[in-house]
Amino acid sequence: MNPIELLIQYWPNYLEGLWVTVQLAGVGAILAAFLAPMLAIVRLNGHPVFSIPVRIYVSFIRGTPMLAQLFLIYYGSGQFRPFLQEWGLWSFFREPYNCAMLTFVISSTAYQIEILRGGLMGVPAGEVEAAKAVGMSPVSLYRRVIFPHAYRIAWPALGNEVILLIKASALASVVTIFDLLGETRLIFSKTFDLSAYLWAALLYLALTAVLVWGWRRAEILLSPQFFKSGRT
Amino acid sequence: MKEQEAVVIAEGIRKSFGAVEVLKGIDLTAHAHDVISILGSSGSGKSTFLRCLNALEVPSAGRIHVHGEEVLFKDGRPADRKAVERLRQRLGMVFQQFNLWTHRSVIENVMEGPIHVLGKGKKEAREQAEHILNRVGLSERMDMYPSALSGGQQQRVAIARALAMEPDAILFDEPTSALDPELVGEVLKVMNELASEGRTMIIVTHEMAFARDVSTDVIFLHQGEIAERGAPEKMFSNPDTEVFANFISDFN
Repeated sequence: MNPIELLIQYWPNYLEGLWVTVQLAGVGAILAAFLAPMLAIVRLNGHPVFSIPVRIYVSFIRGTPMLAQLFLIYYGSGQFRPFLQEWGLWSFFREPYNCAMLTFVISSTAYQIEILRGGLMGVPAGEVEAAKAVGMSPVSLYRRVIFPHAYRIAWPALGNEVILLIKASALASVVTIFDLLGETRLIFSKTFDLSAYLWAALLYLALTAVLVWGWRRAEILLSPQFFKSGRT
Repeated sequence: MKEQEAVVIAEGIRKSFGAVEVLKGIDLTAHAHDVISILGSSGSGKSTFLRCLNALEVPSAGRIHVHGEEVLFKDGRPADRKAVERLRQRLGMVFQQFNLWTHRSVIENVMEGPIHVLGKGKKEAREQAEHILNRVGLSERMDMYPSALSGGQQQRVAIARALAMEPDAILFDEPTSALDPELVGEVLKVMNELASEGRTMIIVTHEMAFARDVSTDVIFLHQGEIAERGAPEKMFSNPDTEVFANFISDFN
């Protein structure tokens, strides 16, 4: 079978796998994006009672392989089945899809906390003072001045993190999930044709290319002062 | 009688950084239409004192009263944080380094406080901002970003931003010190106009001519204490203290 024939025959399977990959990485990154800002503030400005646990969590996640984390949650939850059943959580943990999603959220949150911490530290101190000087409440201060700067600074690094997460989501195939790589492995096992992996690589490449393009558009929206013609 | 028109009252302001006490109990009262210049050599505590007035530097001890809003400071903490926010709304602040919000356009900088602090409507805030920017001579630059402006223009935007809050008094922290010499004039001119229309202003400055000619009162800080205070004509022609005499002789 030549590569084109393989694609013609298996493209629905590829698309299904691609969709699962988009869901796992996309929802994972978005959930992490909701959790990270608050935790980054705690990590930076919180009382040690709160900031130290966040530091430990970030160090643990960054210091261990994601595959190990996935196994810990997927196989580990089986060990605690009686407890989880008692707590009504077993129906969540028995699904490999949920375990993978949880792993990605936990992992990406840790990285995003660290990236945002850098962004928060880079916010110009004078602009924060100016906001305080007009009497802004802390909430407005974060919403109107601190986070717009922090995200602009952190944006390229956050994009990097999402790309890494897309690729890391291939680990889900190890725990029986038919994401893009999972489907590919299935196709390969039927055809023994290496071009199965070539198409998978191209699809990952296309996915990240779309993301990079969109990320760049968003960066321009986020930083009007650098892109809008206003300079004389 | 004059006490009733007092806009800003600061009492017993103390500030320590670690073991070093940089402000040793300073009192200041600004009445409506006063233009008070605070002078002093580097390290005298003049900027720290000005920043204490709106609690950007939290006083270790003291009391600040701005037009009905009062905050007590004890053990390096304000008694009421919300009161600090209200106090700041009543005091405009112009910084040495302008500190415009670089991610917002000129007019957005001026509209920000009225909308997000005072809760004004967008349309009203925009009209007011246009009016104020027109007054400081920047109506052509409204949609630019701060990075596209000269230092003098940025400082005039900063003044417009302070005015948009309709403050009871405006604090200036060395507003011309970061400017190229040829740009100082345009900022002083705006400040002059504000003074002549009766704005209450408290200014830390090195512009001796401005302090002498425009201000109604001068305060000279030396080593964290007020060494001399009075009317500028008297102080500049016939200083009471040797430290102030030496200080002004350095500028001539």
